[in-house]
Amino acid sequence: MGSESVVPKWASQPCIMGIDEAGRGPVLGPMVYACLYCARSYQNTLSSLSFADSKTLKEDKREELFEALKSNDSLAWAVDVIDPRDLSAKMLQKNKINLNEISHDSAMGLIHRVLKLGVLLTEVYIDTVGDPGKYEVKLSKVFPSIKFVVAKKADSLYPVVSGASIVAKVTRDRALRDWVLDESVKNMHRNFGSGYPGDPQTKSWLEDHKHPIFGFPTLVRFSWGTCNTYFKDGAEVLWESDKTDEDGGNNNSNGKRQLKLSHVGFTTSKRRSEEIESSGKGRCRFFQSRKLEQLTYFQK
Amino acid sequence: MEKGGRGAPANIVLKKDEAEDLSGRIHQVPCCVKQDGPASVSDYFKPKLTGVGVDGLPLQQAHFRGRLLQGTSLPLPHGFSGFVLSKKSDECWETSATFRDVTYWNHEFAPSHNDDLFRAFHCLTLSQALHNPVTAEELASSSFSL
Repeated sequence: MGSESVVPKWASQPCIMGIDEAGRGPVLGPMVYACLYCARSYQNTLSSLSFADSKTLKEDKREELFEALKSNDSLAWAVDVIDPRDLSAKMLQKNKINLNEISHDSAMGLIHRVLKLGVLLTEVYIDTVGDPGKYEVKLSKVFPSIKFVVAKKADSLYPVVSGASIVAKVTRDRALRDWVLDESVKNMHRNFGSGYPGDPQTKSWLEDHKHPIFGFPTLVRFSWGTCNTYFKDGAEVLWESDKTDEDGGNNNSNGKRQLKLSHVGFTTSKRRSEEIESSGKGRCRFFQSRKLEQLTYFQK
Repeated sequence: MEKGGRGAPANIVLKKDEAEDLSGRIHQVPCCVKQDGPASVSDYFKPKLTGVGVDGLPLQQAHFRGRLLQGTSLPLPHGFSGFVLSKKSDECWETSATFRDVTYWNHEFAPSHNDDLFRAFHCLTLSQALHNPVTAEELASSSFSL
């Protein structure tokens, strides 16, 4: 989504871009990355447009500013809406991808998209929660022709990032408001609250929608530690793909963090593989390699 | 299965026609859910056809407890049926449902011909070859080639 259907007239001039995110912390709903870009010569006018960090603005003011920047021909924008199902899946897969990596990939994806349109990007301003120095090195390696300014609180320092934060926040709010729940369960409601784990409305939504077998609707990010607190009485689930972790085969540099992650969400303690699947133990290789066990009597 | 005494031989009553047909609704998931009993599977577990095929198998995707599952539906080989059994007494098991296919799921990875369940069906071909009566001609030709 974005303004990409029309390539702006000023695309061949040196352009600046701001990138910001919304919905990183919430335990439910999508995470949104947004970029806003314009010709460098428009920078001064942009500063006068009263874009401020989206968090300091009321919702109707944000909506108003978003509509204003959409109708402004000197500005263009793009968003990447990352589905909570994808966030959970990536963070719970065998080679876990952490939220920083997902964020970096999303931001770089936006830059790629805009460059592909033929926009001459010369400066990109990015807000970050992680180490700005390392992130800048990573970005400069991928996009050597662009000058990067990576900063914490960039959304309140640079108007172009403030603008991006408005696009991100409005898109996230709308996506959550219009979210079509996957599940066909009766008595579900949509009082999600902000989605932040501490929000009382979000807490009671999670309480109302937990399920002993399935956990939660797929709107929820299962990889968030918060989820565990709702599952003291849920059914335990043992995964075949977790069982080899005990070999300690995970020796990449993220080992420490990944070890921690594996205890988050719905991953559980390692068990003997026999508990999870049939092994064909003691039979000839043909059966073993097909996990075919001989059952001489039934037991329930 | 390693513990527990071996009871008296049990009867298994296979009924094909009266039992409910669960085809399309039998899933093998790559995990063990430590609970025995009914669950509202169709309300929560919503496989989607991706429109893509892997190894000639139509790829489906679903999510369970936050993990991505990729799977495909395998029809049981011709001449075979699947049965869901329930215990009537110590000596008797009865058919509570039947099925003609199994949808099996891998965590994260797309299904392939190398997956265990896919390969488990080789056993049926093997067993057929082992148990088919050998004709006099076959016997003659194989001893000739020796």
